[in-house]
Amino acid sequence: MRKTLLLLLAVAVAAISGCNQSSKAPSGGNVTPTPAARQITIAFLPKSKGNAYFVSCAKGAQKADDELGDRLIIDGPTDPDPARHNEIVENWITLGVDVIAASCENKEGISTALRKAEAKGIKVVTYDADALPDARSFFVNQATPQGIGFALMDEAARLCGTNGEFAVITGSLTAENQTEWRKFVEERRAAAYPDMKCVAVEACDDLKDKAQSETTALLSTYPDLKLILSTTSLGVPGAAEAIKQAGKTGTVKNIGLGLPNENKRYVHDGVTQGVILWKTADLGYLTVYAADALAKGALKPGDKTFKAGSLGEFEIQGDNIMLGKPFTFNQDNIDQFDF
Amino acid sequence: MNTDQHGYKSILLRHETILFVVLAVEWIFFDAVGHNFGTYDNTCDILRHSCEIGLLALAMTPVILTGGIDLSVGSLLGLCAILFGKFWRDAGMPLPLAAACTIGVGALAGGLNASLIAWLRLPPLIVTLGTFSLFRGLAEAITHGVDTFTDFPASFLFLGQERWLGIPAQALVFIAAVIFFWLLVHRTTFGRSFRAIGFSPEGARYAGIPVGRRMAMVYVLAGIVSAIAAIIYTARLGQAKADAGTGYELFAITAVVLGGTSIFGGVGSVHGTLLGVAAIAVLHSGIAHALLPGEMAGMLTGVLLILALAGSTLPKMISGLRARKSTPRLAKQIP
Repeated sequence: MRKTLLLLLAVAVAAISGCNQSSKAPSGGNVTPTPAARQITIAFLPKSKGNAYFVSCAKGAQKADDELGDRLIIDGPTDPDPARHNEIVENWITLGVDVIAASCENKEGISTALRKAEAKGIKVVTYDADALPDARSFFVNQATPQGIGFALMDEAARLCGTNGEFAVITGSLTAENQTEWRKFVEERRAAAYPDMKCVAVEACDDLKDKAQSETTALLSTYPDLKLILSTTSLGVPGAAEAIKQAGKTGTVKNIGLGLPNENKRYVHDGVTQGVILWKTADLGYLTVYAADALAKGALKPGDKTFKAGSLGEFEIQGDNIMLGKPFTFNQDNIDQFDF
Repeated sequence: MNTDQHGYKSILLRHETILFVVLAVEWIFFDAVGHNFGTYDNTCDILRHSCEIGLLALAMTPVILTGGIDLSVGSLLGLCAILFGKFWRDAGMPLPLAAACTIGVGALAGGLNASLIAWLRLPPLIVTLGTFSLFRGLAEAITHGVDTFTDFPASFLFLGQERWLGIPAQALVFIAAVIFFWLLVHRTTFGRSFRAIGFSPEGARYAGIPVGRRMAMVYVLAGIVSAIAAIIYTARLGQAKADAGTGYELFAITAVVLGGTSIFGGVGSVHGTLLGVAAIAVLHSGIAHALLPGEMAGMLTGVLLILALAGSTLPKMISGLRARKSTPRLAKQIP
């Protein structure tokens, strides 16, 4: 009696979990392989799954996949353990995907898994954040430090009419990427806009509050200041708040690197004139096209250009596929983006 | 007490049988639905991916048997991982010595938990909640959250990534740990004393069991095992960073409880824990191979835990209902 009860229970457990899975299976969408034409399976790994930045990357990836007719698997970790990235990649290896496109949270850690994939004949591209160069064929590079620095300075000069004083808010004075971006801002200024003058560089320690207080101080110290330029995404809304509270909306312009969603309010209020980043959906789109071409052998090391569907030609520098110039989100277009 | 124990034992048996059946069903299901799930390669991967959590769950079993808990194992894994990296890279120690020192640190950290719990008689939940933050905080402070240790030699990475005699190298360490803990819990007087303490610490004390020393022992063991898990983790990833093993304590506790060990202590088994670890690991891998979204793994682990626990208490409830049915008749007869 007890044993049959047990058995029934076990079957019930199995049935319930089974139903659960089979009912979910179609929503995954990619389960049935077509035996006819060999379909390419692309596995797409975001740094984290819920992050709006990667959600919009994934949208672009999905669009590219719809055009190509490949099978696309998008999965990323939902918990913060760094080993999860490796586990996902290793599961893809045994699953037998054709190509993996990864954004790498832990460069060295994930490279061990990516190398293993390459050893099994799986192609690897990275996007957004690169792995070690020996663990992938190509990196889809969304922006170079030069591209970012020049775009920031060009936009600043455009808003100021190529003359006047401006100040820079940086994340920290020591962070490598920030230093590099500032270097290119200065290079561009010296070469193209000699009438503009950078009067101060202040660090906000990647804190919005500190960016605000530093900006308030800058506004009173330099009454002729025409623009604040932030090389950190937390600087832009912080500076915007300071400008707004000082009643200098419009007279002191505000730009910087940043995500559209964090800045929409200030852009619509006219406090912030623009934030600069890249189109994340295009990044996902280009990545999937590159992955597909790599798996089919159409993209090879040494190629100089690459054509990605409706986005057209992209330049390849070495083993970096360049997404191109950064994009400026302003009052006219910012509402079209959600990340 | 005697009949109680007998009753518990049979419940235990039933629970583990259910779990085994669930595991088998999981395997058959995912083998049918998933792609390349039941392959030898994937079996090895499942083993590799579950070694660290498996080790932590093994060490957690005696802890929970005594009615305690250790929330600090995941954080200690992180701390040990970066200290291992520090010993090797910054102090220039050869890897075996660095590993030995790391295990020493694990024992010390476990000793800190042990002394607070066993001798100051502070509640394990509070103590290890404190060290949970302390150990992770130390790891982050030492590395400032950014320093990462990498470029370990291939001979070391072998431990985490390669196979030896056809099985993943770290599985051998895991099997040794399983044998050790099984013998400790099921074939020694230590194991009996853990259960006795879990049932009633005061009773155990009156029975002449050195309660303090036994409790200290389980927490020190947990520290040592966390350090071993840290070394394996580092070898598997090829990197040590302060966020290593985040959240592992909860996976370990889930596996132990799923394996039939009572969270109140006194009842449980090492083979149950092993089945618990396997059931969760197979679920995680299966979901990936059936191309289902990864977050379903968390959901289904929850469902599994609730069903398994409900499943093992259901027979008891039914017999309880039967007993209640028969009591009114008796009550009528008495007056």
